[in-house]
Amino acid sequence: MATQPHVIELLPAYTLDCLDEEEFVLASEHLAACPDCRTELRAYQAVADQLALAVPDAQPPAHLKRQLMARLQPTRPAASTPARLSWWQQLAALMQRTTPVWGLIGLVLIVALAASNLWLWQQVSRSQDVSRPEQMPTILLTGTEAAPQATGLLIVSIDGQHGTLVVDRLPTLDPEREYQLWLVKDGQRTSGGVFSVSRDGYGSVWVKSPQPLSSYTSFGITIEPAGGSPGPTGEKVLGTSL
Amino acid sequence: MNYSVLDDQTLIRLVARAHADALGVLYERYSRLVFSLAWNLVGDQATAEEITLDVFTRIWEKAETYRPEQAKVSTWLTSIARYRSIDMLRRRGSRPEQHSVDWAELAPDDLPSSDGPEEAAELAMQQQRVRAAIAALPSDQKQVLALAYFKGYSHREIAQVLNQPLGTVKTRIRLGMQKLRDLLLEEQRVA
Repeated sequence: MATQPHVIELLPAYTLDCLDEEEFVLASEHLAACPDCRTELRAYQAVADQLALAVPDAQPPAHLKRQLMARLQPTRPAASTPARLSWWQQLAALMQRTTPVWGLIGLVLIVALAASNLWLWQQVSRSQDVSRPEQMPTILLTGTEAAPQATGLLIVSIDGQHGTLVVDRLPTLDPEREYQLWLVKDGQRTSGGVFSVSRDGYGSVWVKSPQPLSSYTSFGITIEPAGGSPGPTGEKVLGTSL
Repeated sequence: MNYSVLDDQTLIRLVARAHADALGVLYERYSRLVFSLAWNLVGDQATAEEITLDVFTRIWEKAETYRPEQAKVSTWLTSIARYRSIDMLRRRGSRPEQHSVDWAELAPDDLPSSDGPEEAAELAMQQQRVRAAIAALPSDQKQVLALAYFKGYSHREIAQVLNQPLGTVKTRIRLGMQKLRDLLLEEQRVA
């Protein structure tokens, strides 16, 4: 049962994602504990969902549907149509037909790769100038109460423009939800990417940001509806401050 | 098979089984709504087209995750479109200030065709109800709701843009949404 004052006056703005940060956090925390306010929220959410119907009409160009259908066909052939062989299936078929030749080529490639790996290993062992991962800034993210076992590591490129996030031991989510990384600066949260984790809680995502990653003051990961949200709405599972 | 007579949920089930024609019908049914929303949010044709393609591609890839008890198909589509559009605006780091935003004028004679299955007729009726409800709001409430909805502005940003006290903006948004809620609930009871 919620012991805080109700946040009903904040709910209309909550559904429009236009609360300032402090009010958003206040409302989110209260909603998590108050079924009455959640009921009110659903009523306002139903209103917010309908606002799309009141935008001025615009007609998509005719070519857009052709573009859409062209995007779909190669990725997932219709169940009712005969399956067209993908490029790798065709390659596999070709290899089956030419097994003796490919066997010989494969043997040569294996020997060449083994030799080149040995040479590279020797070079790496000797060299003092090889780029080392520790030269890249890394930021550790730690689990919140919602995911105390979880850890995350954000590896930032040398120029600070891009990064890779690796997470471990995060709970696996149902298909309707995904994790979303938030880049925080001056109280503003910008999405850094949406991702899922494998059954053992491991996941990674390439982080792309409008500004250098080094310019953000903190990072956080929340659970959001699949595809991500314009601002954090779900439970925070990982976070850190620089 | 004539997919165009099927309801939205059946079409989504077919999309989940890789029937591209079913997605084509959903596109015919809702592309105008999705494109209109994206265009009004991002303010340029090319980006709105890309968002529209993204929305329907996502439906193609994630149709099996659709839960009818949580939202109508049209709501699912517009939610994705709005999130994508606002995310695009925020990623750009700037918003199209020069792009004026406003709600559609209520023009009953110009409503979308209600021919077709139940969903299309219901959508047309619902559009009329929502547009009438917004038309009934005072202009200052319509204005703040438009800035919040179309541009993803926070209370504080709206107050800055309009040069109005923060408290005034908060009150207008709250009153506007409360009135819409009352009007739409009343419409539902009448309908």
